[in-house]
Amino acid sequence: MKKLNPLWVIPYYLWLVLFVIAPVILIIGYSFLDIHGHITLENYQTYFGSGKYLMMTFNSVWYAFLITLLTLLISYPMAYFLTKLKYKDLWLLLVILPTWINLLLKAYAFVGIFGIDGSINHFLEFLGIGPKQILFTDFSFIVVATYIQIPFMIIPIFNALEEINPSLLIASKDLGATPWQTFYKVILPLSMNGVKSGIQAVFIPSLSLFMITRLIGGNRVITLGTAIEEHFLVTQNWGMGSTIGVVLIVAMFIVMLLTGERRK
Amino acid sequence: MLKKVKWSQLYLWLVFIFLYAPIFYLMFYSFNAGENMSKFEGFSWIHFQELFQDTRLLIILLETFILAFLSALLATIIGTFGAILIRRFKNRKTRLGFLSLNNILLVSPDVIIGASFLILFTVLGAWIRGFSLGFITVLLSHIAFSIPIVVLMVLPKLQEMNESLVMAAYDLGANDRQVLLNVILPYLTPGIIAGYFMAFTYSLDDFAVTFFVTGNGFTTLAVEIYSRARRGVSLEINALSTLVFVFSLFLVIGYYFITSDEKKFKKSKKSQAQVESEVPVVK
Amino acid sequence: MKKEVLITFNHVIKKYDDQPVLKDISFEIEKGKFYTLLGPSGCGKTTILKMIAGFMEPTSGDILFEGKKINNIPANQRQVNTVFQDYALFPHLNVFDNIAFGLKLKKMPKKQIEQKVTEALQMVRLSGYEKREITEMSGGQRQRVAIARALVNEPKLLLLDEPLSALDQKLRTEMQYLLRSLQKKLGITFIFVTHDQEEALAMSDEIFVLNNGNIVQSGSPVDIYDEPINHYVANFIGESNIVDAVMIKDELVEFTGKQFTCVDGGMKPNEAVEVVIRPEDLVLTTPDKGKLVVTVQSMLFRGVHYEIRCLDDLGNEWLVHSTKRAIPGSKIGLSFDPEDIHVMRFNESEEDFDARLESYSE
Repeated sequence: MKKLNPLWVIPYYLWLVLFVIAPVILIIGYSFLDIHGHITLENYQTYFGSGKYLMMTFNSVWYAFLITLLTLLISYPMAYFLTKLKYKDLWLLLVILPTWINLLLKAYAFVGIFGIDGSINHFLEFLGIGPKQILFTDFSFIVVATYIQIPFMIIPIFNALEEINPSLLIASKDLGATPWQTFYKVILPLSMNGVKSGIQAVFIPSLSLFMITRLIGGNRVITLGTAIEEHFLVTQNWGMGSTIGVVLIVAMFIVMLLTGERRK
Repeated sequence: MLKKVKWSQLYLWLVFIFLYAPIFYLMFYSFNAGENMSKFEGFSWIHFQELFQDTRLLIILLETFILAFLSALLATIIGTFGAILIRRFKNRKTRLGFLSLNNILLVSPDVIIGASFLILFTVLGAWIRGFSLGFITVLLSHIAFSIPIVVLMVLPKLQEMNESLVMAAYDLGANDRQVLLNVILPYLTPGIIAGYFMAFTYSLDDFAVTFFVTGNGFTTLAVEIYSRARRGVSLEINALSTLVFVFSLFLVIGYYFITSDEKKFKKSKKSQAQVESEVPVVK
Repeated sequence: MKKEVLITFNHVIKKYDDQPVLKDISFEIEKGKFYTLLGPSGCGKTTILKMIAGFMEPTSGDILFEGKKINNIPANQRQVNTVFQDYALFPHLNVFDNIAFGLKLKKMPKKQIEQKVTEALQMVRLSGYEKREITEMSGGQRQRVAIARALVNEPKLLLLDEPLSALDQKLRTEMQYLLRSLQKKLGITFIFVTHDQEEALAMSDEIFVLNNGNIVQSGSPVDIYDEPINHYVANFIGESNIVDAVMIKDELVEFTGKQFTCVDGGMKPNEAVEVVIRPEDLVLTTPDKGKLVVTVQSMLFRGVHYEIRCLDDLGNEWLVHSTKRAIPGSKIGLSFDPEDIHVMRFNESEEDFDARLESYSE
């Protein structure tokens, strides 16, 4: 097409300005406002000056790290084995299917499973250990978050593994590599981009999951996401909320830089 | 060799059980005659009856679907032309720049999107009379966070489309409009459908953004479940989950058959190489 | 026959980012002939095609269609159709709809479209394939659909951009016959772009040999093969033995230290030149009867002939195509006729070359 009727692309430009660029500017701008709307650096001073926020940030990153690691450990073999199946597209769809069930419904299921009167505790009682407080612990938060993120890790790894030219594996074998050598010298490096996309897709949301910390992790503020939600919707301190938001955005960029594909 | 194949199958089953156990757990208790998820007291449809009598929940369900349908439709239209726009930049740096801007919302955490949109709508509300949080802000937000995924679904199709196809259309006498309608859009159709599908599920799936930008007048299913779950367990929600799961299953099956037609051709070309590869890899 | 000019290029120059791709090109295309633009990749042949089709505008100079300037007329308003290298068939349309694409845009009545598509399919020998999907067709069949799709619009000029390059040898030959017979039957002008010299020689009425954005030589296949203008053309078209030589006087040339009678002339006395002798013009004989005495280096069986590589005492390589065998290591003689020697001057323009040929062939 030589000319694109500008009427068709105006909405896209509008979207870029209004919903991509403006929100970023607004959230940065608001991070310099105090609760009365005056320009101030107070929010940043509070954030970096108090152990409370730094500790929370550290915790949030630590949990996100644990969730990402756990998800990766479960998902990589899963993705690898999936590529070996006959009807792999169908099986992959079955991995994707749970993501179509609303997140809240799945979290809700775990409320039942982990509850003091839930199945796990029935099972523990049966073993003679007796009921334990599982819901509202860090453990339950990590399990549920991992559960929710697994498909988002499997999909990019699966795609990366699928893209590997099969003749490379034959070539590796032909050159004398054992299956294990083929795996860590050929398959693993070639699927690294999938792993990186998976980490991107899991780590950043794990920093900001607030509904799960509310429902499963107990009503505690343990992630950056919960803190933002708290400041915006509960305490109405948008300035402080935006400041944490800016920290989250910076964290996001760091993760993207670390896992970004190097373009040639 | 046999033994290892079995280990991998065992692993697959374990992960699948982990993925589906909570869902089946929910569904199982939706048929419980009792009132909670701690004990199964016999089979009953009672919670489904409750669900169908709960007009508030049914209206929310309907509104959630209308929202998903509308936002996906608008996002698909805007995103498709966005993809065409990005593809047409000759300068590689400009193209990558636009693509990065496009992807910002895709990689941003929901909370950030929700919070920043809330600020945006509040600022807009101060300027525009009658503009307040509600259905319209939720719709705008859903369109906004669905556009980038549509662009990403359409772009590969555009890149795959050979420039000579467009040249051939001009060569055969088509004008700009005819090239767009008769060649480019039909060619992109699989990408556009996939984009719509993704946008639709994004909208259905969203909780966090909606939670931030919805006012008092409008609620989606996710927000409703959140508030109910915090109040306590009701098996009506389980009944709803069962219906949602069955519906999703039908969508997946439908999607599989729609896309498998297209893949058949590619597969037949690939299959030979794959059959050969499968032997040496699994040991 | 009256000469009717269809396309004229007048001092056309094309630059990309100041990098010249076409350096001042002028030529005429007559109606009803089969033209070939021949040259290696990057020589500018596809650029010429795109400018005729309307996908590119010249940086300077004019392109005329039947005497009218068409520089700025868009592709969709030109009476020219193209067969693309990758066929560019629309994958979302079946064979019928692909061929009917142009006719439907012209809002032709349905009945007429059906009739024309049927005829077009008959022409390319694909009758009955209307309902097939493009993905179900083989490469050769797709090629023919692409040709039918272009021809059904009854263009005055058909452009073919290396359309046979993706086909195997046998299909390619088949398509060469089909294209040539279609062109004769329909009387439409064809401009065919290729880098394959055999294809060009087999099909064309007229060949333009291009190199580095210039037309080096133009003429009938026989003219170009027999009288290559310079080293480049001689090498590019057919196989050649090219040696340095000195033109002693008209019809006498010296190379490999010996003097030979030839049929060329019109040059300065003792001018340094090059001489071409085609491998099939060299005849094997005994050393005492040969005009040249050479040592056989190697011999390959090529089916229709043996390909024999020899060296003379000065180290020049001589390639011989012969139905007779020669034993590697043995000394043999090579003989040839005076008219088999083609003399080429250095840096001679095409006009001077043509004028010189005219002058002594009379």
